[in-house]
Amino acid sequence: MNFERLNAHFPWITLVVLFLLVGLANPAFFNPVGLLALAGDVVPLFIMALGMTFAIYIGGIDLSVQQVANLVTVVATVFLVKLGIGVALVCILAGALVGALSGLVTTKFYVPSFVSTLAMGFVVLSGAKWLSNQRALHMNAEAREASFGWMFDTTLGLPNELIIAVLLLALCWFLQTRTTFGRALKAVGAGELAAVASGINVDRIKIMAFALCGALAAISGLMFSVKLSGGDANLANGFLLLAIVAVLVGGTPLTGGVGGVLNTAVGTLIVMVIRAAMVFLEVDATHQQMIFGIVLIVAIALTIDRSKLKIVK
Amino acid sequence: MYELQKVDKKFPGVHALKAVDFKVGRGEIVGLVGENGAGKSTLMKVIYGAYQPDGGTISIDGKTMRFQNPRQAMEHGIGMVFQEQSLIANLTVMENIFLGFEKQFVRFGVINWKAMAAAARHQLAKVKLDIEPSTITAKLSFAQRQLVELAKVLTLEERIDGDLVILLDEPTSVLAREEVQLLFKLVRDLTTRASFVFVSHRMEEVLELCDRVYVMKDGAVVDVVAQNQADIDAIQHKMVGREVDKRYYREHKQKPYDADKVLVSMQQASIERKYHDISFDLHPGEVLCLVGTEGSGREAILRTIVGLERPSAGRLAIKGQRLSRFSARQAVAKGVGYTPRERKIEGIVGGMTVFENMTLSQLHNYARFGVLRVGDEKRLAREWIERLAIKTPSEMKDCGGLSGGNQQKVVLAKWRSGGSDIMLLDHPTRGLDIGAKEDVYEMIRDMSDAGVGIVLVADTLEESIGLAHTIIVLKDGVAQKRFDCTPDSKPSLYDLVHHMI
Amino acid sequence: MKALLSRDSLLKWAPVLVLLVLMLTFPIFEMLNDLARGKEHLYLLDSRFLSVRNFARIAIAAAPALMVALGVTFIIIMGSIDLSMEGTVSVSAVSFAYAFIALGGTLASWAWLAMPLALVVGAAIGMLNGLVHVKLKIPSFMASLAMGFVGTGFALLLTGGERVRVDDPIFRSLLTVRWFNFPIMIYVAGAFLLLMWFVQTRTTLGRNFYAVGGGEELAAASGLNVSRVRILGFTLAGVCYAMGGLLAVGKIGIAETVTGANFMFVSITAVVVGGTALWGGIGGVFNTLIGVLIVFVINNGMVVIGLPSYIQSAVLGALVILAVVLSTDRKAISFVK
Repeated sequence: MNFERLNAHFPWITLVVLFLLVGLANPAFFNPVGLLALAGDVVPLFIMALGMTFAIYIGGIDLSVQQVANLVTVVATVFLVKLGIGVALVCILAGALVGALSGLVTTKFYVPSFVSTLAMGFVVLSGAKWLSNQRALHMNAEAREASFGWMFDTTLGLPNELIIAVLLLALCWFLQTRTTFGRALKAVGAGELAAVASGINVDRIKIMAFALCGALAAISGLMFSVKLSGGDANLANGFLLLAIVAVLVGGTPLTGGVGGVLNTAVGTLIVMVIRAAMVFLEVDATHQQMIFGIVLIVAIALTIDRSKLKIVK
Repeated sequence: MYELQKVDKKFPGVHALKAVDFKVGRGEIVGLVGENGAGKSTLMKVIYGAYQPDGGTISIDGKTMRFQNPRQAMEHGIGMVFQEQSLIANLTVMENIFLGFEKQFVRFGVINWKAMAAAARHQLAKVKLDIEPSTITAKLSFAQRQLVELAKVLTLEERIDGDLVILLDEPTSVLAREEVQLLFKLVRDLTTRASFVFVSHRMEEVLELCDRVYVMKDGAVVDVVAQNQADIDAIQHKMVGREVDKRYYREHKQKPYDADKVLVSMQQASIERKYHDISFDLHPGEVLCLVGTEGSGREAILRTIVGLERPSAGRLAIKGQRLSRFSARQAVAKGVGYTPRERKIEGIVGGMTVFENMTLSQLHNYARFGVLRVGDEKRLAREWIERLAIKTPSEMKDCGGLSGGNQQKVVLAKWRSGGSDIMLLDHPTRGLDIGAKEDVYEMIRDMSDAGVGIVLVADTLEESIGLAHTIIVLKDGVAQKRFDCTPDSKPSLYDLVHHMI
Repeated sequence: MKALLSRDSLLKWAPVLVLLVLMLTFPIFEMLNDLARGKEHLYLLDSRFLSVRNFARIAIAAAPALMVALGVTFIIIMGSIDLSMEGTVSVSAVSFAYAFIALGGTLASWAWLAMPLALVVGAAIGMLNGLVHVKLKIPSFMASLAMGFVGTGFALLLTGGERVRVDDPIFRSLLTVRWFNFPIMIYVAGAFLLLMWFVQTRTTLGRNFYAVGGGEELAAASGLNVSRVRILGFTLAGVCYAMGGLLAVGKIGIAETVTGANFMFVSITAVVVGGTALWGGIGGVFNTLIGVLIVFVINNGMVVIGLPSYIQSAVLGALVILAVVLSTDRKAISFVK
C-alpha cells in the first residue's frame, strides 16, 4: 500500500532528483535562459507525447504518430503559401482522420492497435513520399514568417511555443479530468469490460482517443516543420521512441487507466533533463537512441500493471 | 486402494471440506453428487493435486501421500479428464496425447513421428477411437475430443506402476444421448485397467454408471449409497435436508407484484449450446429467480437481456419494445442494470473512485455539453453512500480498495441512482460475509417495493427460495419447471433439486 | 464445424491463390501498358515480369527478408510478436563486417569465423530480447520494440554512422556467381528455409511453438516450460535475423546502421499475408515463403508496370490490415487494445 502510494509520486521525484543532479554537476544548467531554450526544444516532442498519452491511457498504442508528423511537415511546407495559417487546420484534420481510421480498424475489425497503427503509418508514409516527391522541401520564408512567425516571439518573457504547449496541456487536462469523454477514457483503460457493461460506447471512445492522438501528432509535426522551415517524409523520425518514453517515464503504464497528461508533462521534462545530461557528459549523439531504448525498458518494467495481464504474450 | 481420511480444506470465510472420508476400490466406479457449492469441485481438486488439504491424509494402498501439484498426482496414477478445452486445438491428436511427455520419442531434439503415431494409435485403441493420430484436434467432434482426453489420461498406464484413478468431471454435458451410452460402456470396459470417479449433475447417469455414490452437502459427505440401494428421491433429500430461515431472507417483506405490466418479455429465445427455448415475462416488483446447476444457462439468459449475448432464435422485448440489435448501451438506456458475477471485472472499475463508478452508467445526467458537473456527482455519491451505508472513508476513495460487500453496494447504487427499473443480479452475494448478504437482501426487497423488476441468479437455493416471487428451474439450458411463490407457499429445496439434477 | 473447415481451407490456400493471381495480373497490366504506349508486345509470355532474369531479381531482393521473416514466423506462431529485427539485423551485419575485416578480410582465411560469430551475436540479442519479455513480464511487442531501438542504437554506436565495405570476391560470390541463372545466395536461403522447416516439423522446440500459440495455459498445465520455449523462440529468431543480415551484406557488400532498415514491416507483413495468424497457433515457414514472395512480387510488379515506388508502403500497410482482418475469428475474442 505504502509502496503503491509512493509509486504515483515516483515520476516527479525522479525529475527533481535528476534535475538537481545535473544542475549540481553543471551549475550552468540552472540558467533560466538556457532552461527555456531547452524547454522550447522539446515542445514538438511534448505535443506528440501528449497525444500518445491518450492512446496508451486506454491501453493501446499508436505507432503511426511519427509518420503522421512526417506527413504533416510535407503538407505544411507544400500548402503554406496557398493556405497561409489555414494550413494548420488541414494538418490537424489530416492527423485526426488518420488516427480515427486506425481506431476504426482496431475496434471494428479487431486488429490490435500496434498492428493497425503500424500499418496505417506506412500508408501515411506513402502519402508523404508522394506529396514530397521523395525530396526534402523548404518552406517559403516569407509565408512562414507571415503565418507562423509569431511562434518565435515571446509573451511576458515566455516563448510563444512554450505557451502553446501549456495551453494544449491545459486543454488535454480539462478533457481528461472534466469531461464525460475523459471519464469514459479512464473507464476503458482501467476496466474495459465494466465500461461495456455500464453501457458506455467503448468503440466510439477508442476511436476518438486515436483521433485525438493523431491530431496532436499533426500539431507536433506542424511546429517541427515551422521550426526547421521545411518538410520531408523522414523529418520527424526518432520522435516515436522519445514520445513513448516520455509517456511511460511519466507514469502512464502500458496497461492504461492510470496517469494522464500531467504525467506526460513530467515525463517529457525527464527526457529533456536526460538529454541535457548527455550533452553535458559529452555522450555522443549516436548513443542517444540506445540509452533511451534502455530507459524505455526500465520504465515499462517499473510501471506496468501485471495483474491486468493474465498471460504476457 | 485410493483413500482420503478426514480431509479438511478451508478458504478464507469458507469451510470447503469438512473431514471428508472417501475411498475408491480397484476397478470401481464411484459417483460424486451434490448441489452447487457442496464441495465437489474442491474435493476433485484435492484428489488430482491442484489443492493441498489442510488436514487429514491421502493414501494409496495404505501409503500416505502428499501431492504438491497435479503432475505429482499424475506420477502416482491419478489423472483428470477435464470437462472440455484441455486439448490444444491446433495440434494433432498424437501431440495432444503426449504433450509434455514427448521425450520418449525424441532423439537429439528430433521427433520420431512414426513412433509417436504408433504409440498414439495404441492409446486410441484403448478408447476404441478409430482416427488418424495426425488429425488436427480442431477437426474432431466434441465426443471424439472427450475420448482423446481419456486416451491422454490412459497414457499413465504405461508410464507408472500401480493402479490408475481417473476423474471424470461432467464428461457427459457436451454429449448426445447415444454418445453418453458409448462412453459409459467404454468406462465399464476400462475398469479392468483403472478406477473412476464420476462427477455429474445428471443423477440418472450417476446411478446408472456408478457402483457407489458419495452424496455431498456443505462440504461434508452426508451419505454413501451402493448402486443397488440407490433411490433418486432419497439422495436428493439428503443433498438438501435443511429448512430455510424465512426471516433471514426478509420473506415477511415480500409483496405481490404488479402482474399487469411487463418489463421484460423473453419468448422462445435460444442460444446454441447455452440455453434453449426460454420464455418468461418479468413484471414490476417481481423477483424472478433462475435456478440450475453451473452451466445450466442461467448466466447466459441474464447476459442476453443486458445485450452482452445475442440470441440465435426467439424474441426479446424490453418495456414493450422488441430488440433487434443487442448491445449493453441500448439495454442500459432502456433501464436495465446488471450486477455481474465477476464483480471486479465487469462490475466496478478498479482504479476509479467510488463516485466515478456510480455515475459511469449515467454520465450524460451529470454533464452539460460533455463537461462534467463533478460537484453534483460527488453529492450523489455521498447520498448513496449514506443510504446504503457503504463503508468508505470518502467518495474519493479507489473503488478497487473497498471490501466485496461495499463494492457490490456501489454497483447497485450505480444502477439505482440512474433509475434502472430492470435489475439483473448474477450471484449478488457471492463472497460476501453474512452481514453484507443481509444488506443485499434488504436492498432487493426495497427495489422490489419500488417497482423494480429483478432477475436473480442466486448463490444458493435457499436464497432463491427465500427471495423469489417466481422460480424457473433450468437443466442443461432447458426450462424444467416454473414455481410461483408467495411467502406461505414456497417450493422446498427438494422440489428444486428434483428438477435440477 | 463445417464453417470452421471452410475457414481453415480458405486460410490455407488463399495466400497461394493470391500469389498466382498476382503472377498473372502483372503480365496482363504490363501488356496493356505496352500496347497503350505503342510498344511491341505480342504474347503475354513476352512479359519482362515473367522472365527468368526478373525472377532472379525478385529472389535476390526477397532472400534477406525471407530469413528475417522465418524468424518472426516462429514468434508469431507463439502468439507473440517481435519488432526488434531491424536492430538485430544491423548489429549482426556490422559485427560480421568488422570481424571479417579484422580476421583477414577474405573467406579463404580465418575470417570465415565472422559468419558463425554473426549468428551468435544474433542469437545473443534474441535471447536478451526474450529474457526482457519473459523475465520482466513485458508484452513482447513493447519489449521487442524497445530492444529494436537499443539494437539500432548499438549498431550506430559501433559504426558511428560509417559504412563498412566487405568486398572480398569470395564472399561476394554469394551474389556474383550464378548457378542456373540464380546466384548462390538464393540456394543458401533455400537451404536455410529447409532447415527451419525441419525445426518446425521435426523438433520438439518447433512443435512446442504451436502448443504455446494454441493454448499457453493448457501447454503449461501439461508440464511444458513455456518461458523456456519463448526465450528459445526469440533466440532462434535472432539467429534468423543474423542470417538475414549476412545475406543483406552479401547482396550489397556494405554493412551499416541502416542495413536493417525496413525489415520489420516487410517481414511482419510477409508473415501475416502468408497466412500465419497473428493470434498464434497456425501457419508455418512455407506460409512465410509464400508471403515473402507476395510482398516482393507486388513490389517488383509495380515497378515493372511503371507505378511509382512510394506506393509500395501503402500497399503493404493495407495488405497487413487485410490479412489480419481475414485471419481473425471475431467470435473468439471479446476485445482488443
